[in-house]
Amino acid sequence: MAGSLKEQLRKIELTPYLVLGLTLIILLVFIVYPLSRVVFNSFLESGDVPAIKNLTLANFSQFSRSTLYRSALLNSLTVGLLCVLFSCLLGIPMAYFVAKTEVPFKTAFITLGTLPLILPPFVGAYSWILLFGRQGVVNYFLSELFGFVLPDIYGAPGVIIAMSMSYYPFVFLLTYGALLSADPCIEESAEIMGASRLRVIRTVTLPLVIPSIAASALIVFMRAVGNFGVPALLGGNFYVLPTLIYFQVTGFFNLNTAGAIALVNVAMVGIAIILSQYVMARRSYVTITGTTQAARISSNRILKWVGTAFCLGVIFFSLLPHMTVIFTSFTEGWAGTRYPTKFSLENYRRIFQFCGTPIKNSLFLATTATLVAAVVGTLLSYISVRKRFRGRWILDLTVMLPFILPGIVVGVAILIGFSSGLIILSGTWMIMVIGFFIRRMPYIFRSTAASLSQIDVAVEEASTIAGATWATTFLKITLPLMAPGILAGAIISFSTLMGELSTTIILYSARWKTITVAIIEFLFSATIGPAYALGTILILMVLSAIALANRLLGRKMSQMFKMV
Amino acid sequence: MAVPLKKSDNITLSIRNLSKIFKGRDEKVVALDEVSLDVREGELFTLLGPSGCGKTTTLRCIAGFEKPTSGKIHFLGRDYTAIPPFRRNIGMVFQSYALFPHLSIYENVAYGLKTRKLPHREIEEKVDSILRMVGLEATRHRKSSELSGGQQQRIALARALVYNPQLLLLDEPLSNLDAKLRVYMREEIRRIQKQARVTTIYVTHDQEEALSISDRIAVMHAGRASQVGTPDEIYEDPNSIRVAAFIGQANFLECRVIKQARESLVLTFPSAEKITLKGISNRLWDFPHPEGVLFVRPNHMEIFPRPGKANTLRGKVKFILYLGSVVRHFIEVFQGRAPQEVLVDTDRRIKGVYEGEEVALGFHADDIRLFPPDQKDQLQKE
Repeated sequence: MAGSLKEQLRKIELTPYLVLGLTLIILLVFIVYPLSRVVFNSFLESGDVPAIKNLTLANFSQFSRSTLYRSALLNSLTVGLLCVLFSCLLGIPMAYFVAKTEVPFKTAFITLGTLPLILPPFVGAYSWILLFGRQGVVNYFLSELFGFVLPDIYGAPGVIIAMSMSYYPFVFLLTYGALLSADPCIEESAEIMGASRLRVIRTVTLPLVIPSIAASALIVFMRAVGNFGVPALLGGNFYVLPTLIYFQVTGFFNLNTAGAIALVNVAMVGIAIILSQYVMARRSYVTITGTTQAARISSNRILKWVGTAFCLGVIFFSLLPHMTVIFTSFTEGWAGTRYPTKFSLENYRRIFQFCGTPIKNSLFLATTATLVAAVVGTLLSYISVRKRFRGRWILDLTVMLPFILPGIVVGVAILIGFSSGLIILSGTWMIMVIGFFIRRMPYIFRSTAASLSQIDVAVEEASTIAGATWATTFLKITLPLMAPGILAGAIISFSTLMGELSTTIILYSARWKTITVAIIEFLFSATIGPAYALGTILILMVLSAIALANRLLGRKMSQMFKMV
Repeated sequence: MAVPLKKSDNITLSIRNLSKIFKGRDEKVVALDEVSLDVREGELFTLLGPSGCGKTTTLRCIAGFEKPTSGKIHFLGRDYTAIPPFRRNIGMVFQSYALFPHLSIYENVAYGLKTRKLPHREIEEKVDSILRMVGLEATRHRKSSELSGGQQQRIALARALVYNPQLLLLDEPLSNLDAKLRVYMREEIRRIQKQARVTTIYVTHDQEEALSISDRIAVMHAGRASQVGTPDEIYEDPNSIRVAAFIGQANFLECRVIKQARESLVLTFPSAEKITLKGISNRLWDFPHPEGVLFVRPNHMEIFPRPGKANTLRGKVKFILYLGSVVRHFIEVFQGRAPQEVLVDTDRRIKGVYEGEEVALGFHADDIRLFPPDQKDQLQKE
């Protein structure tokens, strides 16, 4: 019998089970475990032993007792909804103009319209204060020339403007894609039946793109209610849930209360997802396109000029903060004076003197986390796409969960999971890598799953039947064919990790400060010059990573972002 | 149903009671239902049937990509079901060719030799010789995407044959080629297969392709093998209405068996016409039912310019298609309630047979088969 068991084992290939099993264990340890700890701990009072009898709703009762909590909840909701509104007001018309009218510089509009997604929002956020704040440049001139100043944007208005300007590209890109792929014949047939141009837009064009708008609105909402950096810099007394979580963690190290706030934050996102699913499920139109006909373009002159002006305006204002960052980094003692008086590299000299370590840290952490995410994400997408089994949706959901969750919530989960219990990693670089890796794995998972589902299974079977083991087939056939997907996912992951703040702010320790932490510390202490010099370096690193990806993959940046 | 095998036949692959059930969320699909087949050494054995008949599932069970729910596959006496696919030493050509897009033609063909860890020299020799055999030695440094469909097809064949597999599996290999190339390539495949002397299982839904290329054919339907036999057995002597209707063109006429005597058979038709057939075979003589369905191929029918001839059926020519090698007549006969169409193929035009004219139709006892009346429902389904 023993011999036949050995024989049996020889016949089954063990490698796939070992490799893929290990991957699933990683998923359990680094995603499922910390997330369940957050849920559990948020029902425990700080200092209590984790036990069923100690479960309490005390942490949540803050929301009914404290006005601070209640207003933070309300503020988050307001910020989320208004960002969605403004993003749509900017993104939808811009998508229409670029897709459907004779607006010039379309490629440039699309590229520049994608940029805000790559540049970390908080880096530019402070520029709004420099430009339009009470002591801002614009007010200098307005008061001098016209004797009045703009209403103060510090607080809610600044937060909402900064975020909308960063997140409108989601709406723009998704709507633009939907407008392009909608079959022009549908519009033409409406027109032939006697519908006017406006009627066609209202009754045909718009309904066809509504699922895409709903999807992008959801992403904007998720990002807006989960953003920490912008409200931390511009909010002042205007608290939102992420800033509240931050104070619980850094101020009181009360992780359980932070967990409870995080759960509320997640619940908000959850409700938004359900609502958007509802919208999309009821209006999911699959347009079957027989011919790949180009979208019909309106030749209206007025639309063309209005559209050009609109697009230029949106792009100018959305990139203004980052341009200000770069410009200001070369000045000394500005803003604060009317004009920049002195240009120099003094800021850069200072940061290279003091900030070598954060730059190195960021590069090290982002690279390590991207590599781990690339390996694990690729294997997971292989399991998900190639291995048919029941309950596969659980795997997909688990991998994608950190994508849905606000970054600060992931930070809290990892901190709770690995600062006590079996594995203690708090204060190390590893805990940051874990947070980074699980947050960015969805990017790699999506992009590799997309390229894997393009690969004909028969190609792998052809390798197997030619005598290759699972491992050989995977390494020699599957992996090389997936490489473009892995690379695209990895570069998006790397470049967004370089500018990551909301998970970092929870997990970093003095020894492992990143560029983003250094920037926000400078900004908190109003040391703008060095902050912006670092910001400029960050922007340049991110842009060169993306440029490299374009060169290697021959793909446009906007295409890469459409995947995620 | 399998044709009884002579003892001298060298069975290499034997499939016994192979079943495969796919379980969905709340439905079970029986893809294979107790299929038993025997494949002889060196023959080209075709699995023929419409989509969903189980032919591809059978092939994938042989390859090892699907695990049979029950049943056994033995190859050269060894139980195949327990061997993982990569150790089965099979060559396979996929419907999509499945060439490795990131490798050159040379690397594609050499792949199976490299997994077998052959010395470099030998790999090069074997690749060269097989590329010469398929006539594509000039393409070795190109990528597969630079090749035409027919060339990719031949590279896929070379890649499958280069390591001298004991068994070659071809899964609808010609379905992605245009009509002319398909005819050329099936002759190529036949030539290469005979040259390599490899036992081959060929899957196709194209009956003409199956007839022309195979040593033997298994006609499959709904997860079962309806009939196994040589192409002429399948074409001339189908064992059911289903097989008869699936292969080529066929005429079916309901009739009544009036008199069965040695060497003669009298049939009457719903139109009250009567036909006496002489020189009948044992099988017709043994036909046990009082009524049945008469089957006759269009090329086995005779057509006469004027109706009323003895032992013929009356019909009216609806139209005539001139197809070059064949002239196809569409004849309307009145059997039962609705008019029925009968096809008659002749090799040339017949004087006096024109569209709109009445004609007489006849056939010989050797060319007809009678099917039991309970198979009538197979007529509608096809």
